[in-house]
Amino acid sequence: METAIRMTGVTKTFGALTAVDDLDLEVPRGGLYGFIGPNGAGKTTTIRIVMSILFPDAGEVSILGHGSALEAKDRIGYLPEERGLYKRMKVRAFLRYMARLKGADEPDLDTRISAALERVGLPGVEPKRCDELSKGMSQKVQLVAATIHRPDLLILDEPFSGLDPVSTRMLRDLILEEHARGATILFSTHVMPQAEEICRHIVMVHEGRKVLDDALADIRSRYDPRSIQFEPLDPAADTGALGAIPEVEHVREADGGSEIQLREGTDPAAAMRRIMETVPAARIELTRPRLEDVFIRIVAGGASGDDEDRLRAALREPEGEEAPA
Amino acid sequence: MTTRILHVALRDFLATVMTKGFIIGLLVAPVIGGVMYLVAPWLFDDSRYQIEGEYAVVDPTGAVLPAMSAALDPGAVAERRMSEFRRTLGDAPEAVRGLAEAAMRESMDDALGPAPDVRLRALPADADVEAAKAWLNEEPDGPRHTALIVVHEHAVTAGAAQGLGSYDLFVPPGLDDRDLDFIHDSVRDAIVDARVAARSLDRDELDALLRVPRPRSTTVSPDAERETVGGLNTMLPMAFMILMFLGVMSGGQTMLTSMIEEKSTRVVEVLLSAVSPMELMAGKLIGGVAITLVMLGLYIAMGLVLLSTFSLFGLLDPWLIVYLAIFFLIGFFLFGSLMLAVGAAVNDMTEAQTLQMPLMLVLMVPWFIWPAVSRNPGSTLAVVVSHLPPLNSFGMLLRLGSSQPPPWWEVWLSITVGLASVVAAVWVAAKVFRIGLLMYGKPPDLKTLIRWVRAA
Repeated sequence: METAIRMTGVTKTFGALTAVDDLDLEVPRGGLYGFIGPNGAGKTTTIRIVMSILFPDAGEVSILGHGSALEAKDRIGYLPEERGLYKRMKVRAFLRYMARLKGADEPDLDTRISAALERVGLPGVEPKRCDELSKGMSQKVQLVAATIHRPDLLILDEPFSGLDPVSTRMLRDLILEEHARGATILFSTHVMPQAEEICRHIVMVHEGRKVLDDALADIRSRYDPRSIQFEPLDPAADTGALGAIPEVEHVREADGGSEIQLREGTDPAAAMRRIMETVPAARIELTRPRLEDVFIRIVAGGASGDDEDRLRAALREPEGEEAPA
Repeated sequence: MTTRILHVALRDFLATVMTKGFIIGLLVAPVIGGVMYLVAPWLFDDSRYQIEGEYAVVDPTGAVLPAMSAALDPGAVAERRMSEFRRTLGDAPEAVRGLAEAAMRESMDDALGPAPDVRLRALPADADVEAAKAWLNEEPDGPRHTALIVVHEHAVTAGAAQGLGSYDLFVPPGLDDRDLDFIHDSVRDAIVDARVAARSLDRDELDALLRVPRPRSTTVSPDAERETVGGLNTMLPMAFMILMFLGVMSGGQTMLTSMIEEKSTRVVEVLLSAVSPMELMAGKLIGGVAITLVMLGLYIAMGLVLLSTFSLFGLLDPWLIVYLAIFFLIGFFLFGSLMLAVGAAVNDMTEAQTLQMPLMLVLMVPWFIWPAVSRNPGSTLAVVVSHLPPLNSFGMLLRLGSSQPPPWWEVWLSITVGLASVVAAVWVAAKVFRIGLLMYGKPPDLKTLIRWVRAA
């Protein structure tokens, strides 16, 4: 399949910090890729390199068949992590300006702007000044700015940050619509369930290095289920005994019950029987591996439970600035 | 690429010129100038000032005080004012002079201000001057005590050992300069009258002999003759330099502010997804030039209208306007690109003020060298400054507007040097611009800026 993004051996350092370390990435045309990792993993720096806003210290980049995104800017839509609008500019003028910069200056531009705003739930905001918009509204206007020229490649950096659940659903639908239209989509997030919900393919980065690059379905089949959700029949039962079962790696209290992690290579059915023998269960359920669990397994390896907890906390932190300095 | 640059330029241009602030700012200077032109004569009208008071005079010559009394007599004052008025009418036709004199008699005070109301107090020739000084600060019953005039013994006729004397003047604190001028004029006139009378000469005849009216000179050029305009050799370079300074300062500041706004509102990364840093910088520079040209165009047009109103339009060599445009563009792109780099490197205006200080200091240099260059445009200083970037635009404009314009090859050498310096400045600025755009946090110091320029 033709490639939309190809990065080979890309490295970018800022002083002593290596933000991106020997990264290879290949996104085929029509792909829907999630680019995930905790804050500070190097996602934004990688995306800025893809956009030719930053340039790599080493490695090669090819975007839509060009040596640089500068040569294909009109075919790329970009929603940066740092959102920004001209405060005193009116919404229609801002969108016109962005569309014209992207070479989309067709006669029906105003009609398209109105339709796109209506699609994101902002009908009639065209005459408003950008500083009159709420944060969520501003974000939607910027999303319209990123897609108004019908790009072949859409790059979204943490697109869901700051959105309420309704807007998050709307944005998810919009991303899927753009994908259905034929656009290649790469979006970054540190909130892994969002990527899990939308993407077909996952690229995972940690401390500047790629740690996973696979189709979501393959990831799920490769990383066999090793997590069991357990609720005891007797709420006062001592679940500490579960930790002593040979197949169990560790037990963590979660949502009124326990999350039991099995050792690698364990037969889940045998383990579940043994758990129920040890503590009678009100509910016991083998869960599918979540991206978060996969990430923890890859990154933490045989680390302690404390290290795991720290990594999980990092994945749930609100998005932060990945300063390139 | 060009289209994107023009879109950026057009947005910046419209975002600035369509604001009330810009329109008001644009009109404020000419409006203030116009108001001052109309109001200044009224504000600074000295003729409304009433000269009054009492002068104590010690006159050992016995000839000066009578002359002063005669000169300050109200009738004599009125006659003298009328004769001065007649002189100002000069060669006007007889009928016009007659009408003007008739009108003048009716409104003498309106035209020349109130007549002086001065009394003289004669003190004995051997009066105690120290005691008389105390009189100056006494609370007066009538007119205020304005001056103590002590005429020298030999003020009218020279002594054996020394030449002609003069007079000493003592005044109370806070006396107005116009009173001092009037006192000196009166005493000088009285002493001259007394000296002339002592020699049995005719004062009027003497005045007539001494009077040589200064003619208005005519400047003769190969093509035409025109009346010489005094001060043009200093005014024209200054006008050019002010235009250039205004353009570079206001345009540079506008671009700096716009850049800081785009960076602080984080809109810059959105822009960088659509245009390259160089396109963004080029668009901003062109937008800034267009904004400034609107302002300069208005001021130059007003200047030309003023010149044509006073029939001085022919004094302006059209090439001067062409050179003004060329050197303005050189100066603007040079300083403008550096201002943009400052805007890209900082987070807010406070940080910008620190970083743009060196540029501001450089822009102040032409003000210090202006008098020297415009007075002596061929000096070594003038030649060096007019070829030394980044000051050469200002220096060469000063010389071009002066009475001794430089040869054409020097002008074009300066233009070439200017263009080379623009290329260098844009190259440096582009590097700082590209790296600084996405840098937040601590503003860069000089060392960091040099590292940025060396990088990429």
